[in-house]
Order: sequence, then C-alpha cells, then structure tokens
Amino acid sequence: MENTIEMTKSKKARNRKRALVAYSFIAPNFIGFAVFTMIPIICAFALGFLKWDGNNAIQFAGLKNFARLSGDTLFWASLKNTIIYCIGTVPLTMLASLGLAIILNQKIRGRGVFRTISFFPYVASLVAITAVWAMVFHPSKGPVNAILYYVFHIKDLPNWFGGDLILLTLILFSVWKYMGYYMVIYLAGLQGISAELYEAASLDGATTWQKFLYVTWPQLRPTTFFVVVMLTINCFKVYDIAIMLAGGGDGRLGTSSTVLVYYIYQKAFIEWDLGYSSAIAMVLFLMVLIITLIQFRVEAKYENA
Amino acid sequence: MAKTSSIKRSQQIGKIVLYLFLILITIIMIVPFLWMLSASIKTNTEVFKMTPFQFIPDVPQWSNYINIWTRIPLAKFIGNTVYLTIVVTLLQVLTSSFAAYAFSKLEFKHKNTLFLAYIATIAMPWQVYMVPQFIMMRGMGLNDKLLAMICLQAFSAFGVFMMKQFYEGIPVSLCEAARIDGMSEYEIYLKIMLPLSKPALSTLVIFTFVNTWNDYLGPLIYLKTEAKKTIQLGLKMFIGQYAAEYGLIMAGSIITLIPVLIVFLALQKYFVEGVAATGIKG
Amino acid sequence: MRKKLMSTFLAMVLAATTLAGCGGREETKTQSPDGQTETVGSNVVSGADDAKTVLKWAIWDAKKAAYWQAIADAYTKKNPDVRIEMTDLGSSDYGTVLSTELSGSGSEFDVVTVKDVPNYATLVSKGVLEPLSDRIKKDGVDLSAYNGMTEQVTVDGKLYQFPFQSDFWLLYYNKKIFDEAGVKYPSNDMTIEEYDALVRSVTKSGFGDDQIYGAHYHTWRSAVQLFGILDGKHSILDKNYDFAKPYYEMVKKQEEDGVCRTYIDTNASQLHYSAAFSEGNTATMNMGTWYITTLISSLATGEYDKELVGDWGLVKYPHPEGVKAGTTLGTVTGLAIPTSSKNKDTAWDFIKFAGSEEGAKILASLGNFPAIMTDEVINTLTSLDGFPQDEESKEALKTVQIYLEAPYADNISEINTILDTYHKDIMNGDTSIDDGVEKMNKEVSSLE
Repeated sequence: MENTIEMTKSKKARNRKRALVAYSFIAPNFIGFAVFTMIPIICAFALGFLKWDGNNAIQFAGLKNFARLSGDTLFWASLKNTIIYCIGTVPLTMLASLGLAIILNQKIRGRGVFRTISFFPYVASLVAITAVWAMVFHPSKGPVNAILYYVFHIKDLPNWFGGDLILLTLILFSVWKYMGYYMVIYLAGLQGISAELYEAASLDGATTWQKFLYVTWPQLRPTTFFVVVMLTINCFKVYDIAIMLAGGGDGRLGTSSTVLVYYIYQKAFIEWDLGYSSAIAMVLFLMVLIITLIQFRVEAKYENA
Repeated sequence: MAKTSSIKRSQQIGKIVLYLFLILITIIMIVPFLWMLSASIKTNTEVFKMTPFQFIPDVPQWSNYINIWTRIPLAKFIGNTVYLTIVVTLLQVLTSSFAAYAFSKLEFKHKNTLFLAYIATIAMPWQVYMVPQFIMMRGMGLNDKLLAMICLQAFSAFGVFMMKQFYEGIPVSLCEAARIDGMSEYEIYLKIMLPLSKPALSTLVIFTFVNTWNDYLGPLIYLKTEAKKTIQLGLKMFIGQYAAEYGLIMAGSIITLIPVLIVFLALQKYFVEGVAATGIKG
Repeated sequence: MRKKLMSTFLAMVLAATTLAGCGGREETKTQSPDGQTETVGSNVVSGADDAKTVLKWAIWDAKKAAYWQAIADAYTKKNPDVRIEMTDLGSSDYGTVLSTELSGSGSEFDVVTVKDVPNYATLVSKGVLEPLSDRIKKDGVDLSAYNGMTEQVTVDGKLYQFPFQSDFWLLYYNKKIFDEAGVKYPSNDMTIEEYDALVRSVTKSGFGDDQIYGAHYHTWRSAVQLFGILDGKHSILDKNYDFAKPYYEMVKKQEEDGVCRTYIDTNASQLHYSAAFSEGNTATMNMGTWYITTLISSLATGEYDKELVGDWGLVKYPHPEGVKAGTTLGTVTGLAIPTSSKNKDTAWDFIKFAGSEEGAKILASLGNFPAIMTDEVINTLTSLDGFPQDEESKEALKTVQIYLEAPYADNISEINTILDTYHKDIMNGDTSIDDGVEKMNKEVSSLE
C-alpha cells in the first residue's frame, strides 16, 4: 500500500517536473508571442462586439456588427470570391509544389539553380511580377490573347481582368507565385524520408508510382498537413496580390474581385469602423478554424492508424 | 539484351522529358526577372510601353542604378533591413525550434489546446489587430523604433508550427533512447533534434529572412523617421503623389533581390538527401 | 563536443538579445529645451537647433516636393524662436499612416497635413483635430478668399482644417494633334456636348502609331462620374446617382467608337495618365492641375519627347449647358492641429501663415496650386518656365466655382467605397450602367 502511494507521489512529482521542463522550452517564444501578438488579437476579438474608431469612446454593440453582415452585399461578394479563390488555389498549388519538389530532388545537374529559379516569383517585387502578368495577359496587346486570336481564331477575346475571369487569373497567378515557396517545404520534408525505406520498396519490386504512393506520400503526411493548412490560411488572407493584379492603377477592387481582407482593410483603415471589421475578421477566422480542425482530425486519424 | 537497351532508352527519354520540363518551368518563372532587368534601365514612360515592346531600350538608363543610391539613402535602408533580418531570423529560429520540440516530443497538460491556439492566431489577418497592437506598442514606448519590428516578427506561431511538423518526422524512439541514456531534454534538443533538422532550420531561415526583408506594412506603420526606414519603404518613396518612377523602383528591386537569392543558394547544401537518414536504426 | 555545442548555442542567444537590445539604444533621443519628453529624430528640418518651440509637422514627399521646406523656411525666418521638424509619412499610404498615428492619444505631431477630404472626414469623426473657428474669428481671418472651399468642409459650423493647397480639374490638350488634324483648339467655354463632338472630330482610328485618341479618362471614378455634379444640383452625397448615367453613357460610347482607350485596357495595363498623355497620341485629357508641374518638368528633363507632346495647352473644364464656364471639380489639402499637440498657439500661427497669401505665393513660385488663387498667384503660375504662353491657357486657371470631389460627410469614406466598387464594375463591363447605378443608389441609401 505504502509503495503505491509513494510511487504515485513521485510519479506526480516527475510529471510536474516534466511539465515544467516543457514549459521552459515553450516560454521564450510564447512570452514574446503572447505579449506582442496574442493580446492584440484578443483585443481584436473583443472589438467585434464593440463600436470603436480608434479614438472616440468605445461603445458596446453586442451582436449588432454581426447582424449587419447579413445585409452587406459587398461582404458576401468578398466571402464568395475568397472561397472560390481558396478552392482553386489550395489543391493546385499543393500538387504543383509537390511535383516540383520531387523532380528537383532528383540528382540533376544544376538543381540548386533550378530551385532558386522556382523560388524567384515568391521573392520578387510584387510590383514587378504583377506588371509582367498584366502585360502577358493584356486583353488587347498581350501575347496570350494574341495567340488565342491568331492561332486558335477566337474572335471574342477573353478579358482576363474582368468579372468572369479575374478570379481564374488570380488563382493562376498565386499558383505560379507560391509553388516555389511550398516546394521548399516539401523539399525539406523529402529529406527526412529515410533512403532505406525506398531500398526496401525496390527490393519488394515496387514501381516508381508505387514507391510514391506507399513510401513518399505517407512519409510526407506531416509536411502535407502543414502545407495544406498554411495554404488555406494564406488563401483566406489574400490581399496584396488581389490589389496589385485586379486593382488597376488605384488599388480598388470591384465586386468580382473583392476579397475578405481587402474589405476588412477598407472598414478598418479607410472607414475606421474597427468593430465591424473585427466582426468580418471573426467570420474569416471561424471558417479557417473549422477547416483547420477538420484537417487536424483527418491527420490525427492517420497518426493513430 | 533487348530488354536492357529498351530500359536504357526509356530512361533516356525520361531524362529528356525531364529536362524539357525543367526548361519550360525556368522560362515561366524567370520571365518577370528578365522584365525587371529590362525595366530597370528604362525611363518611366518606357517601362509600361507595350506597342512596341522593346526589351532593351534605345537609350539604356544605367544611371538608374546610380540614382537609387543618391535619391534615397538606400545604403542606410539596406543596413537597417539587414540588421532587422538577422536579429529576427536568429530569434525566430531559436525560439521556434525550442518551443516546437516541446510540442512535438514532450507530453504536458493542455498541449493540444495551446498548439491550436498558436495556429489559430495565424488565421487572423494582421490588418485586424494592427490598431490595438499599435496603441499598445506605442504605450510601451516602441513607436518609431526598430525594436518594435523585432518584437512583432521574432515570435511567430508560424515558425513553431513548421518546426513541429518537421520534428514529427524524427522518430520518438531516438529521444526515448537518449532519455534512457540519461540525457536531459535540453541536451536531447541540442545534440539530437537540432543537427537532424538542418533542412527544416534552413527552410525557416529562408522564410523568415524573406519575410522580414520584404516586409512593407509593419515598417510603414511603425517607422517614421527616415533614418530608420527599411528597403521596401525606401522603394515606395519613388512613388510620389503624382508620378511613379518605375525605372528606379525596378533597379532598386533588382539590387535588393540579390542578397535573398544568395542566401537561398547558400542554404541549398542543407537540402541534400540523406542528411536525416543517419542515426535512424530500429 | 557537448561543451562546444552548448557554448555556440549560448553565444547565439546572447548575440541575438544583445543586438536586439542595441536596437533600442540606437535611436536619437533629443531633449527639447522646454523639457519635453524625448522627441524622435526627424529628417527634414527648418530653424535653429536651440529654438524655443519645436513644431512637428507631418507631410509627404519631403524630398520630392520642394514647397514643404520652402514654406517652413519662410516661416522660421520670420519667427526665429520656432523650429519646424518635418516627418515624411510617405505619399502612397499617407491617410492610413496618419490616421493610425493619431489613434489612441500618444501622438507627438503639432501640425498635420490633411491630404484630402475623406482623410479629413475620418480625422474629424475620430475627434482628433482641434476646431479652428474660434481662432479664425479672433484673428479676423477672411475666409472668402478661399472661393467657397471652407464652406464645403465646415462640420456643424466648425472648421477643423485650414486650406493650404487646392487643385482643380481642367482639360489638357495636345496642340500638335489638333494642328495636324486641321481642327480648331478647344476653347475656354465648351459645353460637354461640344467637348464630345470636338474629341470625336480629332480621333483617328488606325493601327499602332497612326491611332489618335480624342480623349483619355483615367481609371478614377472622378474622371467620369463627376461630370454630373457640375450643375451644382447634385453631389455624391445624394443617395441617387442617376445624374451620372448620361456621362457613363457618353464615355462608354466613346470607348466603343474608339475615341478613347477602353477602361479594360487602361485598367489591365495600369496605364498611368501621364504615360497616356505623353505618348503623343492623346488629343485631350481631363485631369487635375497637379499634373502641370510634372508635365513641365518631364518635358524639361527630356523624359517626355518634345516632338510628341511639347506643344500643349490648357482650357477650362467642359461644363453642362447653362452652367458658367470655369465651374470645375476640385480637391483641397488642409493643415490641421491634432488635439494632442502641446504647441497649439504656435501651430495655429504657422498654419495661418502657410495658408495665407504669402504662403500661396511661395507655393505658386514652385509650381504648386495654393488654396488662395488671387490674380497675382495666377500670374506667378503662368509665368513659370514651360507654362504654355497662349492667352487661353492662362485664362484656364481662372475658376468661378469649385465643387469638391468629395464634400464633407461623416460617412464619406463608406460612400466612396461603394461608389468606387460599382464604378469599376460598370467600366469593366461586368454590369450594365443601369444596374450599376441602381446598386449605388440602393447601397448608399441603406447606409445609416
């Protein structure tokens, strides 16, 4: 009897020590994060229920901000566009970056250079790359439409920056810009796969495709999880790409290209309706949270399997 | 005999296809870079001229590359940006990998909730909490200080999330074995996790570097004195109220792009296959 | 091995924190003589180091535009016990940066430039600007010199900014194109119908260099929609924008007939209006007076080709039938005092100077348009090197009534957002003119 009690006591003590050690690891990052980031975010959440413009007295607004959302046409337009953009960009970028990573993981001459080139659209000045796309896809002077006209004899040339196609253009642009970025993440993930696993698969007579399906893909699951979650979050937060590509010279978006964060920015920094912009952000946040939780669940299921 | 030669041929075809594909990718990716180069030696009216589109202008404005240093204190801006980038990257990599180890390999109460809280904050666009944050930072005396940028960038949830995912790939058995050997958690972190996570660390270094280097909104709101401004703010100075000097902006962009590409190329050697394969036995 | 790793690790941590700490001490801290708390160093300064009072002034384009320094210098010369420190908040996001800076209550600025009326409306509703009406009355400042501008920005009987700079819209034209087409130059008294006919008569459809556009409209909403407010009977606060329909129709028809570049093209290529006009194939362009100095200096430096656009002129903005010539759209930039300033009296004295006739002369001599446009000021402007010397162009600077692009309303920013969004939809062809205007009507009306 006494033994068990002592064992439980020392077990408790050990657990506590373990927890303290764990907290000490987290502390440096967490303290900075909590003070400079988490507290303002909590304030922002609180703002959703308040009415404030940054200066005048803060007033309580209850659920008024949220009620306003239902009648707000521009809000729904932004929401719709952002979701469509997300659905298009996430899978395409993930696949493109995975493919790129696998290819550039092979022993090819100068692969470091190829990797750097792929990474370039991510680091290049946004002004520059949007200008190039604007030229390439220019409705009347760009090479893309020129080819459609002269080679495919399409008379009614598409307006890549107009209502119907602007989201498609944005999606294509994003895939192009970010595939280098996520390629880097996948490359790092690929490094972690032990060569022995591939050797074992070869011995078992696996084809290249089977090796991918049964070794690479499962081993990359934590990486893929990270990539998909980050892609989703970043797609929901899209802002400067939309402004630069679809905003014309004056940085304003029409109903077919307006996105959530742009609308949030308008409400927050142009109209200084901080309560309302927080409410919109909370909708964004909730959607991302739900999607992330779903992904978490899927990931956990695989982990336990 | 026939079988080997046909395998060889299919391998060769495979290789040719591969290289063709790589060349295609290169063209697609590199076109804007070439455009930037071309624009950087043009006058402002020539930059967006499409009909006709001249790759090399009749009178190349090499002076653009000189003017960017004299028209704005670009050297100072680069200095500030380098300083910020190095400090933020160091802090971010250290604290993130440190915290990620706990989330990945240690067990403690509320682990999952805390981790979820971390990731959840990434979902909030900065525009939303920027005002409360600014008022708080100013209250701490951090307005118009480079230190403000450091505080904002060095402790991100992103780094923790990414490192944790990479640590998932390192088998727990390694850590368990080490614990049995009597190593403290700190030693395990230093001697086992860190060396094995070179590709991940390199990735984090690259991303943090690029993020801080290219950051515009943060410095815009917090840095007012010219002597403290960063590269992106400097380039924006060429966009005046009524006219934008794109030739100069492009020249400046090219110059400031080079360090980033150098860092990226330099870190490539850590993305070499097999680094993590060592030490994984049974 | 263990020790080495540990020590490297610790060294890095030490380095990081030391560097971070150093960053904090790097700032230049100056203690101003009257014992004010540390002021952050500024870039552009005027006045003696030991001056008794220091005014901190928020501006933009500090180094690009010479008038800031010129005005500051003129003032500190007259008032040697004042020192002015200017901080450049950047032109592109000026409104955002300034509004953020003035949030909460810790800002150190004494004088802030208010770039445009929406920015003004924001700051007024945030309650961060000092009302000036009492000071104006006490000092007996005559507001009639500002041509009705101050009335349009008075809120509940109070004025919160002092007019400093003002630009208005007129019509630029390329004389060479008119000469080659054998068409008479535009006149200073054209109705909008006459303007439409004129630009059509000088349009040439062709390919590449042969093509001549009669008109060019920048992507801003003001370039198209605001013809509608020139009759004085409408404004964008109306909640009904049917008045804009005829002008949308006019421009759309011009696009169809090749008279002007299509919005789709201009938007997609982000063509700047300066590039459009200087290309030499644009006969006329409606734009603001701010472009005059750019045009002059770009021709002088050779950036614009003199062959293409060296021979240019100005005429007054086209007006609706029955409205006097010289009626046009305008913007106003004002100077204001934040409520958190500790030097309000000195700040007021400075603002008064900057917006006075004396300040106006300084602005004009540098090619900028001040809020006060006396004959003398107009003369200074028209005598600038490079200003077209024909009588018509000089006459063009005389205005009779200026309607602000964005008059004051506390929800002007929200209105602008809605109008800009649907303007874009209409011009891009994503929705018809009727539908677009209908949406504008509906949504602005539903704002509380």
